[in-house]
Amino acid sequence: MNHDHPRSQTEKASLAEGSQINPMNREHPRPQGKTDWNDQEMEALQLAAQLILEHGGETFRAEETVRRMGEGFRLREVESFAVPSGLFISYRTAEGKLETSVRRVHKQDTDLTVVDQTNHISRAVAAGLTGPAEACRSLREIAALRREKNCWSFLLAAGVCAAGFTLLFQGGAREALVGALVAALTEGACMLFSRFHDSWIVSDIVGGFLTALLPALAARWLPGLGTEAVVAGALMPLVPGVAMTNAVQDGFRGDMVSGVSHGVSALMTAFMIAGGALLAQAVLRIVSEGGL
Amino acid sequence: MIEQTLIGLAGAFFGTVGFAVLTRVPRRTLIPAGGIASLVYMVYLLLTLAGFSEYSAVFFGTLLGSVLGHFCARKTRVINTVFLMSAIVPVVPGLGLYRMMASLGQGQMAQGAAQGVRAMIVIAMTALGLILGSLSDRILHRQKQTPPR
Repeated sequence: MNHDHPRSQTEKASLAEGSQINPMNREHPRPQGKTDWNDQEMEALQLAAQLILEHGGETFRAEETVRRMGEGFRLREVESFAVPSGLFISYRTAEGKLETSVRRVHKQDTDLTVVDQTNHISRAVAAGLTGPAEACRSLREIAALRREKNCWSFLLAAGVCAAGFTLLFQGGAREALVGALVAALTEGACMLFSRFHDSWIVSDIVGGFLTALLPALAARWLPGLGTEAVVAGALMPLVPGVAMTNAVQDGFRGDMVSGVSHGVSALMTAFMIAGGALLAQAVLRIVSEGGL
Repeated sequence: MIEQTLIGLAGAFFGTVGFAVLTRVPRRTLIPAGGIASLVYMVYLLLTLAGFSEYSAVFFGTLLGSVLGHFCARKTRVINTVFLMSAIVPVVPGLGLYRMMASLGQGQMAQGAAQGVRAMIVIAMTALGLILGSLSDRILHRQKQTPPR
């Protein structure tokens, strides 16, 4: 099987440099039994697109990855159709057989490192540096290493994020400190809720509720606290930044289905957070009117 | 004034780095992502001080961030989402959205609606800046025959 590729050797080497793939491994002998070979090709395409969609990648990236890897595997008529909740792949094998697959995708936590690693593997495949077996193995490793959240680093990151944005919204050092504590507590509560309840909607409502409630409670003990800057800063870790970016990127490339889907997802998150915050305001009003 | 600006720039940097950690970006991209956010905020601040409207300041800030984001993605060989996200985070109208919620919560519907519309225009300007940045990158690199990242 000829695995020569039109890309130059320099480009191949530079692609390998960016990836974790061994650039010396350029021989991909076709294994005995064409069924295994085809299965591996399809599995590699499915896994790559699935990992991208599950971890916050754009749908155009998933489709482009399938096309690029298909070309790398020397497949013909490679077609893919991805939406945020699933993907369809089809191609024609060297024997002329049409292979098709459908896979449902369930959104996991956002992890752009997984998307980036998958992207590197697809580029190595496109450059002819990696065959189906090795690509499958690498992608399975990424899927298996799907990292558990390091709670403390997440709490710290939420705190740093909120403190930074509180300063940006013209809060002082005291506001930044309170904002960091509120965001860390909110993040912790959201992580706790996500363990018991799979729905992101609950986490968002709880996040919005605590972010509006805690600064108001803190203001009772800290007179003169700039609550506005604290709440706005502490809300920032909850902002659906990846969904917003994906909506723009997919829409820009003409994929309106995915663009609108990501846009609505971002809007839903914003509504849920706002709903939680309004609920907190209502609770505070009832408590203060009750004279507590 | 200068002190406030420097605090704002540091806030944009650390705020965005914290946000990037929450989305689990590759570690080597944290500093460039924070740097882009600071630059975007600096452009926003300078244009606002120069008398530009908030909307055009957000647009030009995001445009610069988008162009820089694509540049950094090519240089570091990392997906551009990481850097584009950093370009929009500092100009997300967090304060505007909070004021909208607060007004609506207090029953001041007209004021809340006005603040909501302002926040929506800022978000639209952000999207426009990102799109035009991506477009300019595509035009520039189509000629050079570089594979997109």
